[in-house]
Amino acid sequence: MMLRFTIRFILFFLLLGSTVLEAQIRFDAKVSKKRLGLNERLRVDFEMNENGDNFDPPPFTDFQVVSGPQQAVSRSWVNGVQSFSKTYTYFLTPKRKGSVTIGQAEVTIKGEVYKTTPLEIEVTNAVEKPNDPNNVEGLIDGNIHLVAEVSNTNPYLNEGITVIYKLYFRNPISVSDVSELEAPSYGDFWSHLIKIGRAEINMRGSYKGEPYNEVIWRKVVLYPQKTGQLKLEPLTLNLSLSVPSNRRDLFGRRILTQSQKTLTTGQRTIRVKELPQRNKPESFTGAVGQFDFDVILDKDALKASESFQAKVKVKGKGNLKLFNLPNINFPNTLEVYEPEHDEQVKINISGMEGTIEDNYTIVPQFQGKYPIPSVEFSYFDPLSSTYKTLNSQDLIVDVFDGPTASVSRNNAQTLNRNQLLTASEDAFRFINLDTKLTLINQRGFWMSRLFWILLLLPILLLFSVYMIKRFVMSKSEDTQSLKQRKAKQLAKKYLSSAKNEVLNQARFYEALERALHNYLKAKLKIETTEMNKSKIEILLLNKQVEQQIASDFIELIENCEKARYAPGSSVNIQGDFEKATALIVKIDRQL
Amino acid sequence: MIKQMFSGKRLGLMGFAIFLLVNTSALFAQASMESLVEQGNEAYNQGDYRKAIAFYEQTLSMGQHSAALYFNLGNAYYKLNDVAESVYYFEKAQQLNPKDENILVNSAFAKNMTIDSIEELPQSQIEQFKNQLYGLSSLDTWSVITVVLLWIFVGLFLGYLFSNTVALKRSFFFSSLIVLLLFLGSFSITFSIDQENKNTHYAILFSPEIEIWSEPNQQGEFLFTLHEGTKFQLLDDLEDWQKIRIANGSEGWIRNAVFRKLD
Repeated sequence: MMLRFTIRFILFFLLLGSTVLEAQIRFDAKVSKKRLGLNERLRVDFEMNENGDNFDPPPFTDFQVVSGPQQAVSRSWVNGVQSFSKTYTYFLTPKRKGSVTIGQAEVTIKGEVYKTTPLEIEVTNAVEKPNDPNNVEGLIDGNIHLVAEVSNTNPYLNEGITVIYKLYFRNPISVSDVSELEAPSYGDFWSHLIKIGRAEINMRGSYKGEPYNEVIWRKVVLYPQKTGQLKLEPLTLNLSLSVPSNRRDLFGRRILTQSQKTLTTGQRTIRVKELPQRNKPESFTGAVGQFDFDVILDKDALKASESFQAKVKVKGKGNLKLFNLPNINFPNTLEVYEPEHDEQVKINISGMEGTIEDNYTIVPQFQGKYPIPSVEFSYFDPLSSTYKTLNSQDLIVDVFDGPTASVSRNNAQTLNRNQLLTASEDAFRFINLDTKLTLINQRGFWMSRLFWILLLLPILLLFSVYMIKRFVMSKSEDTQSLKQRKAKQLAKKYLSSAKNEVLNQARFYEALERALHNYLKAKLKIETTEMNKSKIEILLLNKQVEQQIASDFIELIENCEKARYAPGSSVNIQGDFEKATALIVKIDRQL
Repeated sequence: MIKQMFSGKRLGLMGFAIFLLVNTSALFAQASMESLVEQGNEAYNQGDYRKAIAFYEQTLSMGQHSAALYFNLGNAYYKLNDVAESVYYFEKAQQLNPKDENILVNSAFAKNMTIDSIEELPQSQIEQFKNQLYGLSSLDTWSVITVVLLWIFVGLFLGYLFSNTVALKRSFFFSSLIVLLLFLGSFSITFSIDQENKNTHYAILFSPEIEIWSEPNQQGEFLFTLHEGTKFQLLDDLEDWQKIRIANGSEGWIRNAVFRKLD
């Protein structure tokens, strides 16, 4: 029992010893910064983990040693493990600009010579605020950074990018409080802030290749809405920091001082590319990403006045909320209600993802077939930098059992489609089995030769009949009527002067008598001197004028004389005038 | 002399024979075309619409048509969901037989499928009256009426010329005058129907979608779109642009459109 314990004890020590022996010897050179201004100070530490002798610093030819070497030794036991470090520290100021090398330091540890690796330091122009490692401000500036990481600084219009704001800090600084002073508004972007629960510190972050603590402060998804150079406004944070000061407390620890610091990310510029104009499809409405597209009907056969739904659906990744879905061109007689828009879009660090839909409710009014034409949707794929076009398939809705669309029965007033042929059960009619055909290019009757013949024939007929009638009449008609007409004209001629004097009795009869004498003179060729009544009568009788007419004529002349010489006697002017006319006509006929 | 007579006789005989030949061949052609239509009808009844269309269109290509043929073509295209063709052939059928109910019903079915909804322009009363008058009968019937009226006028006028009594003469004269006025009216109506037919050209749009512009160039304003199966009136053309008017009175220019004239 005792023996076993002893063996265990020895084994333990052996193991311990071996671990101590196994521990590697390190001899490193560390600088406080690898880039500094000409007027700044540089701290160089040469650190070893075993005690060594004959420390030989490198020749600081391009530097001036401000202080040092300072030697510090620390030794500690933690859980039985010993750790040791011995550090030589120099504070240097550079003598010249440019790339400067700190050479190798040498030390002899356990009889062997160890060397550090040479360090390249870049010395720049003098800076405004020389960084004194012991200066609090300098300490802060060097050890805390706020950065905006942009996933893509040269995206296409409407292509999603993410911006992650990260805060880096490292020892000896610790952050006790953070508040946002100025949050960017992302004016020319559609933006979405991704919520971050608690700020978590990632101890293994790295900033410019050096280890830092990393805190993700903010994540934003942005979709640029304008092309060109877009400015990303800076994020400004106000930080409360704990920074070790130069003072030390009773136990030699450095006293932490509270300090306020305002950090800003600086302005970032994002160069937004325009979508290519070449090959741009007409149906393109601004969708950028990777999508699937479909039009879905929930029924394809239904009764009139029932309803069905048509769904226009786009699924995928991209700017889903930022474009309009294509419209469906429904046949005109379908009653279509405004579509309901439905979005199921998740936004994560890679952008929007999900589906958007337009749901149309449609109520057919009439029976029949309703083809729903293919709908075209096109989008721009930024990955392949090409436009892609998707077409839905042609769909047909069959509506049965309902009224047919109206037809007005009058051809002249062409169809008025929006009326109902009330509840008529008219179905689609079967074909006409009549096989009679006519020539397509048959000329109509109108303006045809036959038409003109039929039109001109009656006119010619009428004309010729009229001409024939006139010709025949002029031959056959007895001279009597012709002569009669002439006599009438003659009488009118002679009696015209008398007619003018109808109002004056004396003058009328004078004129009438003269007219009658003139007539006889013209007709019977007798001299005025021979004008006495018995002679006239004989002459008239000689010319085969009837007895009665001749005596009437004489009587009329006598009447005239009577009226002339005995004015005031009752006379009938109108009656005598007519009598004269009639007599002349009669005599003329008989002469 | 005798020989000449003989040859003349032979010529006459030959002419008669040729006449017979032509006549019978025409008859045969007629019969074969009718059988084509019958075959088409059969194919339609068996549901083979493409075959039916092939038969019908073969008949059309041989220069023969009828309202029934166009109607059947429209039906077959309707069954195949071809909107524009279907509307086109129903319109053709309506031109030949404007009052057939079957054509009107099926034409309404076809028009149901079209996408454009065009409110028709309301007609003024004068226009309505005019259209009713014009629509009373076809152009040929109107021209027959015109000719008949002229004959009646001539008859009445002759009656006037040859009648003896004054009363008879007077009534003949006035009635002939009335008939003459009727003849002139009928003639002018027929003439204007003919002119209208010649000057108005309708067409059916076959392009699936076409844009209507305010000017025959791309600088003009974009007005609206039309879809296949819509009927419009052709007004004018310039290079590859056509000016059109649709039923609601809107006018505009289309470019490179596929359409088929209805006449």
